[in-house]
Amino acid sequence: MEFNIINPVSVKELLGAVKKEKHFRFGAGCTDLLMELRKKPDEGLTVINLAQVKDNSFTGIKKSAKGIRMGAMFTAHQIVMNEELKKTFPVLHDSAHNLASTQIRQVATVGGNLCTASPSGDIACALVALRADCELLNTTQKTRTVNISTFFTGVRQTALKPNEVLYGISIPANHKNTKNNYSGFIKVGTRRSMECSVVSLAYHIQVNVEGKILKAGVAIGASAPTVRLAESACDFLIGKTFKNITQKEKEEFADKVLSYASPITDIRATAWYRKEVLYNISKSIFE
Amino acid sequence: MKPKLKVIGTSVPKQDAGMRVTGKAIYGHDIKLQGMLYGAILRTEHPSAIIESIDTSAARKLEGVYCVITADDVDVNNIGYKRDHPILKKGEANCTRDEIAAVAAETKEIAKQALKLIKVKYKVRKGIYDVHEALKEQAPQINKFISGKFSNKNIAETFHYEHGNLEEEKKKSAHIVSRKFTLPRMTHACMATSNVTASYNMLDKKLLLYSSTQVPFLYQRDMAHALKMNPSDIRVIQPIIGGGFGSKLDIHPFEPICALLSIKTGKPVQILYSREEEFIASPIRQPMEIELTAGVDKDGNFTFREINIVKDNGAYTSWGATTPFVIMQSFSSLYKLKACRFNATAVYTNNVFAGSFRGYGNPQATFALERVIDLLADKLGMDKAEIRLKNANEKGEVTGQGLHYDTCGHKECLDTVIKKSKYHSFRNSDNGTLRNTNKNESTNNGSRFKKGIGLASMLHVGGGAKIYRSDGCGTTIKIDPYGYCTIITGSNEIGQGSETVLAMMASEELGIDLKKIKVINTDTDVKPWDVGVHASRTSFVAGNSLLGAIKILKEKLNKKAGELLKSDDTAYEYENGNIYPLRNTNINESTNTENKASKLTKEIANTDSYIRNDSDFVKLDKVVREMHFTEPNELAVANFFYEPSSKFQDKDFKGNVSGSYAFAAQAIEVEVDTYTGNVKVTDIYVAQDVGKVLNPLLLGGQIEGGILQGVGYALTEELLMHEGKILNPNFHNYKMLTAADIPNIHFFPIETNDKEGPYGAKGVGEAPLIPTAAAIANAVCNALGLEVIDLPITPEKVMKALASKNTETIQTKNK
Ligand SMILES: Cc1cc2nc3c(=O)[nH]c(=O)nc-3n(C[C@H](O)[C@H](O)[C@H](O)COP(=O)(O)OP(=O)(O)OC[C@H]3O[C@@H](n4cnc5c(N)ncnc54)[C@H](O)[C@@H]3O)c2cc1C
Repeated sequence: MEFNIINPVSVKELLGAVKKEKHFRFGAGCTDLLMELRKKPDEGLTVINLAQVKDNSFTGIKKSAKGIRMGAMFTAHQIVMNEELKKTFPVLHDSAHNLASTQIRQVATVGGNLCTASPSGDIACALVALRADCELLNTTQKTRTVNISTFFTGVRQTALKPNEVLYGISIPANHKNTKNNYSGFIKVGTRRSMECSVVSLAYHIQVNVEGKILKAGVAIGASAPTVRLAESACDFLIGKTFKNITQKEKEEFADKVLSYASPITDIRATAWYRKEVLYNISKSIFE
Repeated sequence: MKPKLKVIGTSVPKQDAGMRVTGKAIYGHDIKLQGMLYGAILRTEHPSAIIESIDTSAARKLEGVYCVITADDVDVNNIGYKRDHPILKKGEANCTRDEIAAVAAETKEIAKQALKLIKVKYKVRKGIYDVHEALKEQAPQINKFISGKFSNKNIAETFHYEHGNLEEEKKKSAHIVSRKFTLPRMTHACMATSNVTASYNMLDKKLLLYSSTQVPFLYQRDMAHALKMNPSDIRVIQPIIGGGFGSKLDIHPFEPICALLSIKTGKPVQILYSREEEFIASPIRQPMEIELTAGVDKDGNFTFREINIVKDNGAYTSWGATTPFVIMQSFSSLYKLKACRFNATAVYTNNVFAGSFRGYGNPQATFALERVIDLLADKLGMDKAEIRLKNANEKGEVTGQGLHYDTCGHKECLDTVIKKSKYHSFRNSDNGTLRNTNKNESTNNGSRFKKGIGLASMLHVGGGAKIYRSDGCGTTIKIDPYGYCTIITGSNEIGQGSETVLAMMASEELGIDLKKIKVINTDTDVKPWDVGVHASRTSFVAGNSLLGAIKILKEKLNKKAGELLKSDDTAYEYENGNIYPLRNTNINESTNTENKASKLTKEIANTDSYIRNDSDFVKLDKVVREMHFTEPNELAVANFFYEPSSKFQDKDFKGNVSGSYAFAAQAIEVEVDTYTGNVKVTDIYVAQDVGKVLNPLLLGGQIEGGILQGVGYALTEELLMHEGKILNPNFHNYKMLTAADIPNIHFFPIETNDKEGPYGAKGVGEAPLIPTAAAIANAVCNALGLEVIDLPITPEKVMKALASKNTETIQTKNK
């Protein structure tokens, strides 16, 4: 595995490099990139290392009335350690906490998790459930925002254009009348760490003081070519009281979630298993 | 009153722990010799193919390439337990690991590039990947190097054993259970990948090998045979070894290949495996089918066992083919048994070949046996703990196979885990009704998580195993004029902590501080012979050998000490670098310093009549100097070779093969998630007859590491193959467990003080993993009311079994 590497230290240098280089890939934590290059060497490749870029909007986190914005370089470890995120968006905290291992979480970034566009991306799955927005920056220093549901265009494919870098991710604030939301990330695999999701489910269900569901985001991972938002399952929940959901409604909800799944059979699990388990864990949200 | 042990029995940390955790340890990968080249191996593209031609011309021309070899370039003998394994393959490939060519180049990159330039023309064959296919009449012969003494051309080895009157015992049986179990391929996955550095000296024609072998002296001999050299012209040095677990018992083709590259180039050559290569080309635990039929009489006494095993030998025969030695022992002699008939056949296929692996067939045997014991108990309506206790082995028993249990902790082990785990209050009733165990879960339609508990026990050699003509170990010990001690032992360290335990023994016996004791154990040119690290034997055999040497040394030291102290006492105590005479207060008392209870150790008979005066001593280093510089002008050095009392088994596999026997039992609690099929092992209760605890810390390490390996075998680890190719040659998909998966382990050592062992100790290394998969399978069956006959018990298999209401068996392959 051989490649050239350039280390921009500012956004300006970064965009300059993007403009100049013909054959390049970004490297953030490189936990996906190096694995990929080792499997499939890419001759003449230049890696533009994002890790030295000094820019708060790229590396930091900021809270506003509209919600929380993380720079693309925010790491899984930083997500885990952030109390505000843990309180406001437990699903995001859980997804990062379950990712790989302590060592990998130190360097793995949220931007890398999104841009690698793996169907089993854990943070990606949580961010889909949270209906986050992706901020893309191009070489003319212009940004555009795309909703995460349109960011993933296929297996390992995103809406990023060749002259764009993912700059930040914004998560809309919770509905102001909500209290004690139901939010979590369910990861299914055989090991308790260093495990890639065989199936995953992210849910962020916002309820008011009476427990009535005001907003819902439910996303599935490792069950389709991309992480997917189970839109109809989310709609189904609106207006219902979380605690009073009946057995029949649970099953109907799980059926709706399952309708978004088109899993494959691979060496880790069969499609049959993935569906079976997705159905079960969908129900389990209410148990 | 026996003198109290001061060092033995304490938690001395591993002597090399600091070096290892600070990265200072020199592994094979760290060796760099002047002018060293890097070797790389081209393996076949197809598990079964005719090799029509090999064109190495382009590779030879590449700059930086020093040497390219194929089978045509070398004059060598086959390797392997049956000498059926060519180092480089000629004419045909029979296994995905097959070595076609090798190169030595200036850098690893050039070596790799050169491999790509080698053009091989293959004519692909269908290949045989199933043992039953291989046994068919029309199947082609896979390995052409065997003598053909068996009924079928694809049989590599057979074993037949029996004792008692099987037909008679069948008639006496009230219930008979018969099952066929399938066991997977598991790989060692050592942290350090395979490595060797060879340096051939063209001047004196001697070969130096830096190798991670577990058996340096057998390796030296095998290497010499392969290379047509004189064994003594080969020197084997072991750098620090990053994991063995049995994988380094056999010599593997890459090792003589590396030597050949060095011989051809006259330069040192190093071969290091990548992780992927490690998964593909290092040995595995034998996959096998075990058909077991077993009976029990109406009172719950075991009557007979009839066993038929078919092992997938792969394309070549390794030590792994001899695992039936150990397997038959568990079937014939674990629990009292009146009659046994055992047949095992190793069959050639085009799959990867096995090797030896911690437990040496015993995890497979114990899994089958302990599953069937649960089923027999079910038939009888007898409690599963009771049936085991009733049939447990006993002290003084001589088994049908001729094993002598001079000490036996079997019952005590079982009793301990049954009590400590509160087995009876935890267990689900055996009529299939499950206890609702998840009171904390707010489920309203029955419980999602099902708990269960399972029991299993095991028998393993605890005092070496005489499978080679000698199971001995030599030791040279010396004390220098400054009071430091050097132990030169034949045994070696592969991470298990034997150096530390040997140093502790010397410290105990000679009263020398541990910091002043050095253990030299890495060089065949220096150290005396030893058969190697296997069969949980090192502390036992090398320990006894060291104690023998110390006894001789002490006789010399005592004599000089007596002179210097002007005393005619015959008993001395060694402590704090001093020698204290023990003055005899009772002249009528025998002064025999030898005690049967511990033949070689310091414990002195009837010490009550001896008195030590703390101000009456001579310094040990002074005694050594006086020995050296005055009469008898002798060095404080002693040699000893210890051969265990065990016997080579006769042609019917009968005889007392080990110096002592280890027993263990485990009770394991699991929680099965019926939504995902995940089995969570919550608590493991382990009781193990270790003879005597020499070092609680190191013992605990063996127990925990072994158990996690056992949990992996039970639940997650499997090298998946399709038509001879490995599908998951990486940690990503080969699911080895991590620290996060360690269950609660409750360990209870059982001390039976075996008179053969050093301080009463027995071998402990393999036992912790042996009953684990069996106990987990029994627990899963208990939790779900289903049967498990297949390992590993993956979530997918559990879900399939739960889904299919008709079949009650977890058997489905997750492919
Ligand atoms: C052992 C191991 C275990 C793992 N376990 C998990 C797990 O449990 N769950 C999980 O979801 N993932 C897991 N992963 C995958 C990986 O760690 C995560 O996807 C991680 O978030 C990737 O982040 P990174 O910063 O390392 O990405 P990189 O490897 O640096 O980049 C990944 C891809 O995104 C592109 N990229 C990165 N940043 C940007 C950007 N700002 N703009 C545009 N493109 C960009 C890169 O060019 C590359 O194509 C694991 C990986 C390993 C090696």
